[in-house]
Amino acid sequence: MEFILEIITEEMPPAHVKTALVQLKVKFKEELSSQNIDGGKIETYGTCRRLVVVGDFALSQKDREEEFVGPPKNVGIREDGTFSPAAQGFAKSQGVRVSELKVIKTAKGEYLGLRKIEKGKPSGDILSEIMPQIVSSLSFPKMMRWGESSFRFSRPIKNILCLFGGKRLSFSVGGIQTGKSTIGHKIYFPKKIKVRSFREYKETLRKMKVVIDQEERRKMILNQMVRKLASLKATLHLDEDLLERLVYDIEYPHVILGSFPEEYLDLPLEVMSTAMREGQRLFSIVKEKKQLPFFLGVADAYQDSKSIIRKGNERVIRARLEDAKFFWEQDRRITLRDKAKGLDKIVFQEKLGSYEDKTQRLKKAVSYLADKIEAKKEKQQVIQAAELAKVDLLTEMVREFPSLQGNVGGLYAREEKYPALVWKAVYEHYQPASLGGESPASLTGAILSIADKLDSIVGVVGTGITVTGSKDPFGLRRNAQGVCKIIIERKLCLSFSRLLDKVIAIYGEKLHEPKEKIKSYCLDFFSNRLRYIFDRQGYRYDLISAAVSAGIDNIYHSYLRLKALDSLKESPNFEPLIIIAKRVNNILKDQPLFRINQALLAEKEERELYTTFSIVKNNILPLISKGDFSQAQRIIFRIRSSINKFFDNVLVMTDEKRMRRNRLALLQAISKLLIQVADYSHIVIEGQDSSR
Amino acid sequence: MSIQSLIMNLQKFWAERGCYLAQSYDLEVGAGTMTPDTFFRVLDKRPWKVAYVQPSRRPTDGRYGENPHRVQKHFQYQVIMKPSPSDIQQIYIRSLGALGINLQDHDIRFDEDDWEAPSIGAWGVGWQVLLDGLEITQFTYFQQAGGIDLFPVPVEITYGLERLEMFLEGKDNIYDLNWSEDVSYQDLRFIEEKEFSEYNFSLANVRRLKDSFLLNEKEAKQLIDKDLLLPAYDMCLKCSHFFNLLDSRGAISVTERVKMIAQIRNLASQIAEKYIARESSP
Repeated sequence: MEFILEIITEEMPPAHVKTALVQLKVKFKEELSSQNIDGGKIETYGTCRRLVVVGDFALSQKDREEEFVGPPKNVGIREDGTFSPAAQGFAKSQGVRVSELKVIKTAKGEYLGLRKIEKGKPSGDILSEIMPQIVSSLSFPKMMRWGESSFRFSRPIKNILCLFGGKRLSFSVGGIQTGKSTIGHKIYFPKKIKVRSFREYKETLRKMKVVIDQEERRKMILNQMVRKLASLKATLHLDEDLLERLVYDIEYPHVILGSFPEEYLDLPLEVMSTAMREGQRLFSIVKEKKQLPFFLGVADAYQDSKSIIRKGNERVIRARLEDAKFFWEQDRRITLRDKAKGLDKIVFQEKLGSYEDKTQRLKKAVSYLADKIEAKKEKQQVIQAAELAKVDLLTEMVREFPSLQGNVGGLYAREEKYPALVWKAVYEHYQPASLGGESPASLTGAILSIADKLDSIVGVVGTGITVTGSKDPFGLRRNAQGVCKIIIERKLCLSFSRLLDKVIAIYGEKLHEPKEKIKSYCLDFFSNRLRYIFDRQGYRYDLISAAVSAGIDNIYHSYLRLKALDSLKESPNFEPLIIIAKRVNNILKDQPLFRINQALLAEKEERELYTTFSIVKNNILPLISKGDFSQAQRIIFRIRSSINKFFDNVLVMTDEKRMRRNRLALLQAISKLLIQVADYSHIVIEGQDSSR
Repeated sequence: MSIQSLIMNLQKFWAERGCYLAQSYDLEVGAGTMTPDTFFRVLDKRPWKVAYVQPSRRPTDGRYGENPHRVQKHFQYQVIMKPSPSDIQQIYIRSLGALGINLQDHDIRFDEDDWEAPSIGAWGVGWQVLLDGLEITQFTYFQQAGGIDLFPVPVEITYGLERLEMFLEGKDNIYDLNWSEDVSYQDLRFIEEKEFSEYNFSLANVRRLKDSFLLNEKEAKQLIDKDLLLPAYDMCLKCSHFFNLLDSRGAISVTERVKMIAQIRNLASQIAEKYIARESSP
């Protein structure tokens, strides 16, 4: 039987709508199955103003056969075949005659009992009961209250429609009683209207200028856009994020094509598209990498026959572009270098001082980084870029369009004829904006970006703020992931631990927390971010653990380790080696460190193992420092048979103390070598748990 | 069409919805939210409906009368309804209709824009209302102040009068607006903008402002101790204005800024806490 739920609210953010639809689907499936109601396909639809669930549910719960177990058979039935008082008591408690009891076989033996068939209740009754719970258990990134109720939801609920087989299901949530009516578009048809079926609901709403299906709205937008663009012979460089937002932001899409005076085309592309995207949420139109003096917008309307909406948007964008043009000209009257004097007036972080302080720190950090990665040519340029990096925070342009920070500084530096490596570094130093975002394309940009992000992380951690669960007010996770992403993509080899020391040292006495504590927190934090990145790339979690636990001092090498493990995981040598590595680890557990004394190697097998180990070691150390972990791994495989022979023929834990210690020392040396390639103890092999 | 007829329409509309029409507060404030008719009244548990025009000063926005959109003083129309009526959004949309806007011809959007003042533990959930892409109103359900859940929940609607009037008159320059049939925005405000920009950016006496800040802060504290919360709040508003002026003079160092913001915040939250305590005691 057809089920429809529609919750109408005031405008929810698109992210709220999307999470609610996912949650609703899951909750309905769970509840129906736990209530024994057959439910076929469940569809969800949504706009910023409504959440809709449609399904085809069974008329009633499935009948349930239940077994009630009474006393054991030999207690319930006397030897003479009559029922004992225990059996009679049980029958009475179940409301049946004693003769109706049957013998039931259980794992514990035979019992007296009975089977009852419980008739399923009508689904409508059950649904009315569970609906309030389903709706009020929806969770949103931020919830609110309204009026005089303590009920919390994404936005105030206006109306709830809930029909089962065309009849109203009666319940109330957040003080709203369900009804049989929906409400149309908030401007055109803000009236209640009754519906009986989903088909009627959908058609009625369409007449009332609401398209409930998000995919249909998306198609409508795209089709209209293509038609509008045809006349311009331009193709749309679709801003997917913006489109996704608009699909939910509106109930009935009407695409408008507007224009603005060509005089604004002198503005940088970034500035124009940001001016359009932010605020009015307009799409800029680009043809052959050049901005055209047109934009596309999506109105929540079914027509714009008098072009009022188009003209209104044109006026607003003109004013914004006029502002941008004014800023573009005004800002350039004072050079970046002169503007930089104002950096001491703006706060970086309450306890960490001004952006002038930050600039000074960045200069030191980029200089260190340039030395470490042997970027001699770029060193002076990246220092210069560091000096300019934060100056655009003082420009009117960034004050107006904060999302353009970095880009604006870079553009002004380009206008001032700074070398490409300088202005590009400034331009790119906030990249990557996300894990999927682009990293800086220039080496100078990469260096500056790493320095800037690490400076922020160390500083914030140093003031005692830590990242927990959903709390990450300074975006430290994103910053740390950015650092890892750049290092890996650029294949940068440098000691991360020493880099941290340096960044901490540059802060000097500014940091409240003890230096060791900051460092260990950061190392831990970065390990976790690396694990997250690798996990998102689809690597096996135990391989990730093995690669990351072996150390993140060289972040790029952690990645190479993982790749080596991943490429060799199918090798027939892989699992046997891991079993041996685990065996070695188990023996060494809780042992203090010992030194090898060659003279004490008595048995043939331990001498042979020592020799193999020495050869393997000499061969793989250079490979490890080069980062060739695949080859190192392959060579390590060769130690296996020697270790096996050793374990088969030599008693490690012998009573003779010096011999025992010497054998342990040999295994310790091997273990130390292994862990430079990977921490095998984390790898899970079939039929065996991870040893940790 | 004029700003004053816009104001009269809004006054009539909201008076008919039960709002008491307050007069503008007689101190410099940055927004309608800061006047006692909002600041105090949203904190207690009594129903409250008020509407008023509030001149709002933001010294750093001054442009010497040369920018067609930016001014160091603008006018807000502020509405508070507590508890928030269940059909408040439709009421608001009807208010636009009452201003002569033919809603069927336009694109009216409620665009996510939450409000937050973490320093005083206050936040709300809401939207900026866009009319054909133009931001004309802030619409906020207050949720907490001083870290305490507000109950009943107040809704705040703040119209930007100049924005709205530019829309109604179809003008691109604020100074071209009509205040009345005979008096233009230019006539009334141009010299004021020019002179105050000069004062805010160049001539405001830094020494005097810093001293005044401290004197007012001291007096506010004394008044808080004596439980005279309304006068104490006036002192707090003055501190806030002096701070804004010092800011536009570029006269505040990093450490000073942090400190002064903390000083203002402390006053405001102490006053709010005492007010809540007083209102909830029998």
